[in-house]
Amino acid sequence: MEKTSILILFLSLILFACEKDDICSEETATTPQLIVRFYDAITPEDTKPVSGLFVYGINDANEAIFFKNIIVGAKDSIAIPLRTDINTTKLVFHLEFSIDDNGTPDDDSDDIVLGNPDVVDVNYTRNDVYVSRACGYKTTFSNLGATLTADTDNWITNITIENENNTIDNENAAHIKIYH
Amino acid sequence: MKMQRISKYITSVLTVLLMTFSVRAQNDSIANDSIRYAQKYGLRLGGDISKLVKTFIDDEYSGFEINGDYRLTKNLYIAGELGTEEKTTDSDYLNSTAQGSYFKGGIDYNLYQNWFGMENMIYSGFRAGFGTFNQTINSYTIYDTNGQPWGSQTTVTDSNKQSGLTAIWGELILGVKAETFNNLYVGFNVQIKSRITETKPDNFENLYIPGFGRTYDSGRFSIGFGYNVSYLIPLFKKDK
Repeated sequence: MEKTSILILFLSLILFACEKDDICSEETATTPQLIVRFYDAITPEDTKPVSGLFVYGINDANEAIFFKNIIVGAKDSIAIPLRTDINTTKLVFHLEFSIDDNGTPDDDSDDIVLGNPDVVDVNYTRNDVYVSRACGYKTTFSNLGATLTADTDNWITNITIENENNTIDNENAAHIKIYH
Repeated sequence: MKMQRISKYITSVLTVLLMTFSVRAQNDSIANDSIRYAQKYGLRLGGDISKLVKTFIDDEYSGFEINGDYRLTKNLYIAGELGTEEKTTDSDYLNSTAQGSYFKGGIDYNLYQNWFGMENMIYSGFRAGFGTFNQTINSYTIYDTNGQPWGSQTTVTDSNKQSGLTAIWGELILGVKAETFNNLYVGFNVQIKSRITETKPDNFENLYIPGFGRTYDSGRFSIGFGYNVSYLIPLFKKDK
């Protein structure tokens, strides 16, 4: 009898030592990104790639914030992380982005940024949703809105909120359409 | 406040157990004092030492449990535990505290054939457990694998307390109890627990349930350990 109980104790210890609950798996769906798709202004049902597109953020100190997965290139859709600390994210959609280094690749001071940047303010309401003991909470966004800052040369002609409920709770479909 | 609550529990468990004793006493008025084979029957009261030790060494835990059993027949005991626990669960993204009290009641069955004159136990038993508790989310960090370029991760520290939560669970127990000095027993037991129902806090889950222990994502099961010291108040003796 004593042997049996020790065995059961031992087995249960093994069973409970193998728990992976405390590690947040990479596959866990967490805070979703904003998905933007680009459409043709003339035939609005067609997607249209933006040539030389670069997207970056502007923080409170007016500094450019670069995202690890976003590089310069022609694309018709892009995923952008939104801020989870305030209700507005300021983004720059930069058309034909390139840097003219004035023939001095090692000297940044005389570099000129070429192309056409358009500034878009994305605003939303944040909701923190429980995920799991290991991952804690994620943020989903609702009441989504987007405002284009008018300048002398906007390449973006129109922005619409695509999602029916104006919410971002997954990355399966576009949330915002930009026409150009 | 805490001491007041604890003393309330002690009083109530004593009352319940003494009531059963007085009923028993009326039935067993025939005193049998045959010394040779007499076994002690009575009320055994004690506490869980492991919870006290953990309270002192673990900053994130405080707990207290009293337990008691009453011998019905040679091998059958009714047994119960009353306790309170407060436990803070801390991970990279989440810090929460569960606090509450619980009652467990059931039977223990002695599987051990004692040598002459000894009254030790290797026992198996079951319990039904009832817990009432609250959960406080002390802080959490938004899990966002893409948002790091925006700066430090967003941490929310508005503490959010949800009260009036309950849980019911069942336990299978395996344990030993050994008489070390006259009427003083020390024991160790393992409890395999299975949740039957629980009320979950809004937008959160019960990571720890007082009396039940920590929960696992994989299912309803958990495990618990107890180290008990108890004293037998002998009430009468019986041959068998």
